[in-house]
This record gives sequence, structure tokens and C-alpha cells, in this order.
Amino acid sequence: MKRTTVFTAFLLLITWLIPCKTFAGWPIGKYRDLVVPTFSYYHQTDRFDGQDNVIKGAPGTSFSSFTANIFFGYGLTRKLDLMVTLPYLYQQNKIGPGNTISNQGPGDLSVGLSYNLVNFNYVRFLSVQVSGIAPMYTVTSGRSALGLGSYGSEVKLMFCGNLPATVLDKGYFNTELSYRRYYSAQGPDQVSITASVGYPVTKHNQVSLEVLLFRSFSSDKAFNANYFAERDFSFFKPALNFGHQFTRRFSVFLGGFYVPFGVNTGVGYGGSLLAVLKL
Amino acid sequence: MKKIGYLSLITLIVLFASAIKAAAKQEDAAQETGDVVLKAIPESKDAIFKNNEEVKYKLQLENNTNEWQEGRVSYIITTDEGKKMGTDSLHFTLKGSGTKELQIKIPPKATGFYRINFMVNLPQYDDTVRKVFGVNPDKISSQLHKPADFDAFWRRSRELLEKVPPKYRVLERRDLSTDEKRVYSVEMHSFGNLVIRGWLVVPTDGKNFPVHYRVPGYVVTLKPNMDNDDFIAFDLNVRGNGNSTDVINVGTDNYCLVNVEDKEKYIYRGVYMDCIRGLDFLWSHANLGIDTTKIFVEGGSQGGSLALITAALDKRVKVLTMQVPLYADIHDNMSISASYKSQVFPFKVFRKYNTMHPGFTWEKFFRTFDYFDPQNFAPMVKCPVLMGIGLLDQFCPPRCSMALFNHISSSNKEYVCVPNSTHEVNYNYFMFQNLWLREKFRIP
Repeated sequence: MKRTTVFTAFLLLITWLIPCKTFAGWPIGKYRDLVVPTFSYYHQTDRFDGQDNVIKGAPGTSFSSFTANIFFGYGLTRKLDLMVTLPYLYQQNKIGPGNTISNQGPGDLSVGLSYNLVNFNYVRFLSVQVSGIAPMYTVTSGRSALGLGSYGSEVKLMFCGNLPATVLDKGYFNTELSYRRYYSAQGPDQVSITASVGYPVTKHNQVSLEVLLFRSFSSDKAFNANYFAERDFSFFKPALNFGHQFTRRFSVFLGGFYVPFGVNTGVGYGGSLLAVLKL
Repeated sequence: MKKIGYLSLITLIVLFASAIKAAAKQEDAAQETGDVVLKAIPESKDAIFKNNEEVKYKLQLENNTNEWQEGRVSYIITTDEGKKMGTDSLHFTLKGSGTKELQIKIPPKATGFYRINFMVNLPQYDDTVRKVFGVNPDKISSQLHKPADFDAFWRRSRELLEKVPPKYRVLERRDLSTDEKRVYSVEMHSFGNLVIRGWLVVPTDGKNFPVHYRVPGYVVTLKPNMDNDDFIAFDLNVRGNGNSTDVINVGTDNYCLVNVEDKEKYIYRGVYMDCIRGLDFLWSHANLGIDTTKIFVEGGSQGGSLALITAALDKRVKVLTMQVPLYADIHDNMSISASYKSQVFPFKVFRKYNTMHPGFTWEKFFRTFDYFDPQNFAPMVKCPVLMGIGLLDQFCPPRCSMALFNHISSSNKEYVCVPNSTHEVNYNYFMFQNLWLREKFRIP
């Protein structure tokens, strides 16, 4: 009887977790592949000044970005995963009526390894990820619209798993603390905190709420409407996502975000559509 | 902005803290009571050590009274056959409601499993905590008592099984089915033309599933397994179990004794063949969505051994998982069980039979049982294997399970030791087993 109960409990748990696992702090699993193509849209017309005040954008000015991102993950061992991310950007920076600067091309390539430090009864996972970043675009005089134009590295601590039963009977969370450094005279150094909570509303559908607090430090304090190329700024970004699992190997997530608070950055909003393919 | 920043940080910390607390709570779930509670924690999490390293335990003493306590904590180590290997004793004092931590170091031991009993002795209170640790279990060896005609015996058994037309009957049970699972009761004729039955549960959400083929523990009733979303669950009640008791229905005291004096008629000959017949059923019903290239067989206790034997006799099994396999290394099991203060299954039953039947010598017993000892089948297992054992298990002593495991031919094999379990494994094992299976079958 006891054995049956244990067996049932673990199967239910797995059922709840499987649709939730995307590419956060969960180990991918030995020999498993994960491919996540993402399409996202970002737009801003107004901006925050250095004191978090909203400054209306001049008429006819705005910044928009369309990003196609491909993430590939492979479980090298039960604890060690290889992760590669490459974005392709298309940007429109309207600097005045009838005056638009467009840029497109690959962005920063990120290649990293994620290692599961501790698993708490295979229910929660504490992992660390170390990545290297390389610009995949041409940099002219140290600048580019497609990124910061220098090599960088990132270390990320991730803790994720199912929510304690005392909080919710099902559902999951993911928290990430990351530090990124770009190797150029003006940096920047970037720190971010991400926390997300997901809840399966039905067997195949889930909603999740994610908050991101991002801070980028640099001696270059200039505002740049193109936040891909900006160096000193911060923002708070909540996002709401809806996910649907079509099959065991294919899920789609649709989400929207807004930047309600920020310093020296745009009042951005947008959305993303991503597919999770477990091969 | 700062406020939001602090808010996010606090949310993150609260989330981290509550999750860690919940995780810790899970591990600490079993609270013990007593005047002075002793917890013995091996330095190695699974209580497995190497033969060139010291065996270390952390002893945590907790005074549950408000009074000063003074006493001794001692330990005695024996082999799993009861031979005394060492003893020591430490003096301790404890303030009211106080705690204390002591370390003990035991010189390296030879390959094997050892019982270690920790005793707390106070003027008015005594307690004993029983533990087992292992040293190099993957080096444990045992003698195979395989009869010369073992292979021929089982080849003949399979030939006899093949002569029995299975006459499968598959009946959809709408009364038991749900929107997500279709339940079938299945029936087939097996060895000796006995009818056996089982349950097939097919998820409706998808097609072509791998199969979780479960075989039963000792006189255990298997029912439809409704909890598996990613596998077709096939639960077979072998003869004398569950809904397969038309002819044999003898209960736990006599089940393993049915015709024990004749290998040709011994109940387990038919039982082992029932497991193969179950596999025949799966193989011939791909039309129900069964992916016949992905069949994994699983069981605990008797079911663990049945699973191993099925994988040994039939290569249609692609993956094997078993827990606490019963009857493994039956000769050594007999020696080990002789040291128990009170007898437990299976030798409790065999010894009773031996006492009541003077002509039934142990030589006679082994003359039959050597054809059925799971250990003798182990070298025939070539597929990936996962085994879980409980170190405090007396029904299936860890040494016997590991001897069986070490005889398995497959190089793709792993075992998990659960130090505080008796004849069972734990939740953690099943979590690992699930991930392990997904890894073997490349299931997302």
C-alpha cells in the first residue's frame, strides 16, 4: 500500500512538472536535446530618465526590435548541460519623422555549461551556469546597434522546482541570479534577478508570471534608445505567459511584457512566442 | 524603482527560503521520540564505503527531557551473518533539552555488508538504533549453484508454453476507463493451460507508447495502473495472484511451497512462464498502441525477481528495473537468515516446511530451488538494469541482492542503496527511476 502511494505521488508530480520544464534551471537530462526557437517583439516610444520619470518621446521617434532567437540545449550527463543561444535581430530606430535607421544581423552568441549542484529529492534543483558571449556582428569604432560589441561572460545561479505543497498543490517556480561582464573599457557589468511562478491550469495549459529586475553598470551613462547597445540603465519587467502543450515533445508559449519602472531606459513593451521542442 | 527592486529581492529570498525549508522538511519528516533520541548518520549518504576508507558515522544525541542526562553510547559491528567484528563505547553528558554530536570512526572493512547497532544507555532509559553499511558492494561475489541442465530445463519450459494456445481475450472496461485512460481487462492461457489475467491501461493522449510491464510481488493483487501518462501500463497477475486465482489460490503461507519438492511442477515454473506469456500478449497487441520496441519490465520483491527472470529469458524486454529482488542468492540468504533473532520470510516458511517434513532435506530443497534462484538467471540479462535495495532488508539481504546484481552480464547497470529502508525503497528512488527510464528510452 505504502509503495503504491509513493508510486502514485511521484507519477503525479512528474505529470505536473513535465509541461513546465522549458530551459530554466531544470537539468535537460542525459542525451536529451532541447531546441527553443523564440520570436519576440519590443517597442518603445517614451523613456525613463535618471530618476525613474517618464519622458515622452519626441513625435515620430520610436525604437522597435524583432528578434528571432534559437536556443539549443543538450544533456551531456545527468548533471551537465551544454547550452547555445544565437539571436538574429532586426531593428528600426525612428530618430525623427521620415528618418529611420534599420539594422539587422546576428546578435551575441552565448555558449555555456550548466551544472546541477544539488537536487532536492529530484523535486527542486540548484544549478550554476557559466557562459561565454561573443559578438557575431561587425563592430565599428567599438560600437554596433546589434549589441555591446565586446566579448563577455556570465555566471548564473538557478534554483527551481515545484512549489511547496503548503503554497500551492501544484505549480513550479524558477529563480535566477546572474552576473554578466563585458570585456571592454566601459563594461558594462550587469546583474539580474529573475523570479517566475507557473501554474498548470489544465493538463495541457499553464500560466506563468515572471519578474525581471535588471541593472547594467557602466561609466558610459549616455541614453540610447536602442537598449541592445545601451550600457548604464536599469528596469523592472513583469511578464505574463501562457503555455500550451501540444504533444509530449512540442509546447508553445505566448507572452507579453511591459516595463513599468526603469532608469535611463525605454518604456518598453512587447511580446514573445516561443516553441519548446524536446527531441 | 528602488521600492520595486527591494520588493523583488524580498520575493526572491522568501521563495528561496520557503523552498529550501520545504525541502529540508521533507528530509526531516520522520520525527523520533524518546528521552534521548539518537540519530546515526553515515558520512556517505547511502552508507556505502570503499574498502580502503574508514567508516564514519555522525551521532546526534538530543535530550527530550529538561533533566541533565549522563550515559554511554556504544556500538557493535557484526557481519551480516552475525559474526562480531568490533565494538566501542563513549561517555556523554547532555544538558536538559540539549543536543550533542559525536563522531565515530571505524577502521576500513573488507567487502561486504555489516550490521551496526548503536545503543544509548542511561540509568533509566535504553534505546538501540540498527543500521547497516556496505563496503564495495559492487565487488561482492557469490557462488552460482546452477544445475547442469538449467538452460535445457528452461528451454523445455518455453517449448511447453509455446504449445499452449494463448486464446487472448481483451475486454474494454468502460466502467473503469476515464477520458484520459482506456482500461482493458486481459486474459490468456499460460503454462499448464492455466488462465491468467491482467490489466492494460492505454493513455488516450497520443499513440504508440512504450510499455511499463509490471509483475507482482508475493501474492499481491495488481490493479489497473491509472497513474502513468507516458507509458502503457500492463499489470499482470501471475497464477495465484490477484484475479488469476481460478486454480491456485493458496495464500501467503503456502504459495512458495506449492510442489516445492518437484522442479517440474513447482509453482514458480508456471509463474516464470506466466511472465513470458504476458510478454507474448504485449508483442501480439501492437494494434492497441503498444510500442513493442520499448518494453520495460518492473517489479518489487518477488516482482523484482520475476522482472529479472523475464528480462533474462526474453530479449523482447529492453529495460529492467527491480527493487529488493526476492529469493536472490538463495544459498547465502539461508546462511544470513540463520543469524536472525526471529525468522522472516522466505526462510520462515521454508524452515517451517523443513521441520514439518522430515524427509525434505535442505539438499532436496536446493535441488529444486537452484532452478529458480534469480541469481542463476542474472548472467543472461543483457539490457540496461536499475536495481534499488533497502539496507535494512531482512527478506532480501543486501548482500544477496548485490550478488545477483554483480552476476548480471549487462554493463549498463546501476543500483541505488536506500540506507534506512527495510523491504522497500523510497520516494527518491522512484523519482530517480523515472528519470533513468526517460534517459534509456529518450523520452522527453
